[in-house]
Amino acid sequence: MLGSMTTARRRAATLLRLLTAGCTLLLAACANKVMVEGNFPAPVLDKLPVSIGVYYDPEFRSHEFFDAATTREETDWLVSTGEAQVQMYNQLLPGMFEKVVVLSDLPRRDRVDTVMEDGLDAVLVPHVSELQYSIPNHTKINVFEIWMRYRYELYAPDGELLADWTMTSYGKTPTAFLQSAEAAVNLAAVVALRDAGANFAMNFTSVPEVKQWMDALAAARDAANQAEDASAEPPGFEEDES
Amino acid sequence: MTLRLSLTVLALLGLQACVTSTVDEVLYQGPEANLGDATVVIMGRRHASDYETEPDFVECVGDHIQRADKSVTVMSELDFMNELYPWFEPRTAPLRPADVSRMMEVEAVQERLRRINTEYLVWIDGETVRTGGAGSMTCGIGPGGAGCFGFGTWGNDSNYEATIWDFTDQEEVGRMSTQASGQSYMPAVVVPIPIIAPVKGTACDGLGNQLLQFFSTEY
Repeated sequence: MLGSMTTARRRAATLLRLLTAGCTLLLAACANKVMVEGNFPAPVLDKLPVSIGVYYDPEFRSHEFFDAATTREETDWLVSTGEAQVQMYNQLLPGMFEKVVVLSDLPRRDRVDTVMEDGLDAVLVPHVSELQYSIPNHTKINVFEIWMRYRYELYAPDGELLADWTMTSYGKTPTAFLQSAEAAVNLAAVVALRDAGANFAMNFTSVPEVKQWMDALAAARDAANQAEDASAEPPGFEEDES
Repeated sequence: MTLRLSLTVLALLGLQACVTSTVDEVLYQGPEANLGDATVVIMGRRHASDYETEPDFVECVGDHIQRADKSVTVMSELDFMNELYPWFEPRTAPLRPADVSRMMEVEAVQERLRRINTEYLVWIDGETVRTGGAGSMTCGIGPGGAGCFGFGTWGNDSNYEATIWDFTDQEEVGRMSTQASGQSYMPAVVVPIPIIAPVKGTACDGLGNQLLQFFSTEY
């Protein structure tokens, strides 16, 4: 009896999953699909003397937004930004920090093996916390705009949260002449991602908690260097000098 | 008869409406005698919330200079932005020459600027707007053919200012502006005949010529 109930529940779950996948496929089939693609330049910055790990959670990696048509004249839009934003951060972060490691798991207080092994100073976790857009359906004119709010978390190697802050980004296609609506939406998204990178790169050290952490890191390194120098000095050095 | 009609239509299509243009210039320092291998960058201002300098206008000015004097190397806006990412994005671009000196404190920026050898940066700020329209036009299609009847008119105003920064001395060396306005017409008797006022193109040529006088030894 119990076995047949479990089987029935499994079947129902499978059916639900198939139905969801079918609906998504159906929606996607009718929608204007844009897989955001762009070239992101490496930043021209003096690297911070920090080794950092970065963890992109599955939601971030596959981030997309879907805009459903409200009238018959309108079309649905499905814009996938996940891959492009991972590409952008993978290009940006190595230009900002001395060492960058892409992690496959989030650091946790009870499991620090991966993070510690790589000798990282901190782990950065970016999230898309909010997204607003204006596409031709809404504006009726050739203006394509995307506004995003990113939330960043910075963890210590032991999993302790060091900083948690947000930054916004904005992108707009200045013209839609001679290009398809899809290309214009893509361009707006690329501009927004570039802006996100620029905002992050220019303001990372201005975040109070980050600044505090970096100051503490520098002080700890200075103290370690001084201790190393002191231990390297030959015994009786001071007496010889005097 | 057909040939004459075709020629008339072509001649009408080639008509252009009049444009009034004014160019002003203020130079704090005399033009550079010879740019040598150095490059000039022309960029559009995009920090205002209500308008953006059109990339096609910036490109037009660059092309105008490059066409007129091949010895002047104009670097494209996007190439420069990519070379110096993230310093010239709309959010981060320097608004005053003094901001350039702050940017130059970064060693990597100094090195990159040395490599691309940019001597001058020209900021173009402005836009072309439609100033209003009037008239109406009706088009129809039937078994005997198709055609339009009516009249439309609209105006365009261009207003641009170019500010020249010297990267070496980190100061503003000149400022020039151009205003152009014109009225376009579209009469239609069976075939619509656009008589367009090339307002933006005139503003581009005006600003391009002024910049040429600054950068080129031939003008």
